[in-house]
Amino acid sequence: MAVIGVGRFLEQRQDFEDQIARSYQVEMEARVEVAQGTGGQAARDTVEREADRRNELRDEISADTRDTALLVAAGLLAGLTGALLLFSGLISSMRRPLEELVDAAGRLAAGDRSTRVEVGGLSETATLGAAFNEMAEELEQEESRREQLDRLKDEFVLTASHELRSPLTSVQGFAELLMLERDSLTPRQAETVEIILDNCRHLVRLLNDLLDLARSDAGRLSIRPQPTEVAPLIDDVVRTMRAQTEAGNQSLTEHVPPGLPSISVEPDRIRQILVNLLTNAHEYSPEGASIGVSARTLGDEVEISVTDNGPGIPEEQLGRIFDRFTRGDAGLTQRVGGTGLGLAISKSLVELHGGSIAAESTVGQGSTFRVRLPIAAAPAADGDGASGQAKPAEAS
Amino acid sequence: MATILVADDSETILLLMRTRLEMAGHTVETAADGQEVLDHIAAGVKPDMLLLDAMMPRKSGIDALRELRGAGWEVPALIVSAHQNRDDANAPTDLAIDGYVTKPIDFDRLLETVAELTAQAH
Repeated sequence: MAVIGVGRFLEQRQDFEDQIARSYQVEMEARVEVAQGTGGQAARDTVEREADRRNELRDEISADTRDTALLVAAGLLAGLTGALLLFSGLISSMRRPLEELVDAAGRLAAGDRSTRVEVGGLSETATLGAAFNEMAEELEQEESRREQLDRLKDEFVLTASHELRSPLTSVQGFAELLMLERDSLTPRQAETVEIILDNCRHLVRLLNDLLDLARSDAGRLSIRPQPTEVAPLIDDVVRTMRAQTEAGNQSLTEHVPPGLPSISVEPDRIRQILVNLLTNAHEYSPEGASIGVSARTLGDEVEISVTDNGPGIPEEQLGRIFDRFTRGDAGLTQRVGGTGLGLAISKSLVELHGGSIAAESTVGQGSTFRVRLPIAAAPAADGDGASGQAKPAEAS
Repeated sequence: MATILVADDSETILLLMRTRLEMAGHTVETAADGQEVLDHIAAGVKPDMLLLDAMMPRKSGIDALRELRGAGWEVPALIVSAHQNRDDANAPTDLAIDGYVTKPIDFDRLLETVAELTAQAH
């Protein structure tokens, strides 16, 4: 439209030039007649009229020029807008599939392996979408293969641990039987039996740790918390540990104030954690050391502490102590039989309960491990279904 | 003391259980599997308590206990399992079980539980 407008304007412009030129010619001819005195009044009128006519023509052409300029400007604007619209349409037809891809990639990364995108749009984005879907497909298959492997591993560890436990029960059981008759054993025999028992306990811990680790890796470590009294739990653990600490001439003391609130935990798991902490205290501390277990209320938690006056843990090791396969001073590992997994598993278990575990230590003075566990919401009134049922024994 | 019927498919474990329980003054009857437990009881053995391994060939301790409970037997029963805890043992929740004993057996604790569960028997 602007082009037509400009064309017409140029034609008009030519016409205007012609008319101006003709007007000058007419005027000049009239002026000649005036000068010669032949034209008279009519010639003078012609001179004036032609001057007026040229003024009119000039006004007209300048208005036309303005209009044409406006038309050209409007045309340019319209063209630019059109181009912009076209361009933004192009961009948005690329952007929508791209945005969808970004979303899908986010979902895929967040773990939703079944995420796929709709393949469409420009050929480039369609190709990208197809490639994405192919990758997601492979990831999904890979994941299901890995889950299957995890299950197999878990099953294997469970079965192996199960099969190893029966013979281990016999070895440990008969060694304990021998220890019950310690008085009739020679010192060397008694020591031998003690070594057998120590190694049995080590094996049991190894099996338990392996099981927990396999489960923790598979995200299948689970707990069943129930309102549990603290004092009997600690009594129980201390009783379990007594034989070992006495064998090392270590004192094992218990400070549990009366009236502690019940905590919401799975008792077996907390027992496992405390046995782990006490075993560490026992194994890393020299003969004659003092080991203590205490408990106190701290806000809406109960804190159970295990303290020893053993060699302590150097600061650079303290930060890594809850990492897997991290163990105390290498010189000690020769005689300390651990897997380096106990504390890592303890930490996972405590956190599963919604609690926390921390260690503090001063080299040469000893270490303290603090476990904080949530107080049970309701008093421990409701008994556990299976073990709480009191059934009278059938009288014989 | 009490009469305890112990079932396990390992003779060694049976010998160990018998020795420890007899040392604590109990009378012990043994069975190699769940079916033998039922056979003993059918033959007139009247235990004050059952100590049954969870997994045994022919008939498991859990299956044997289920049959006994179904027949109205309310004798206290402990299930012994080589699993680490009762979740692994897939312990049934609908069966009246008085406790779980995991292998390796902590005999001090076991003897205490046995004493508690058989306190009313003589």
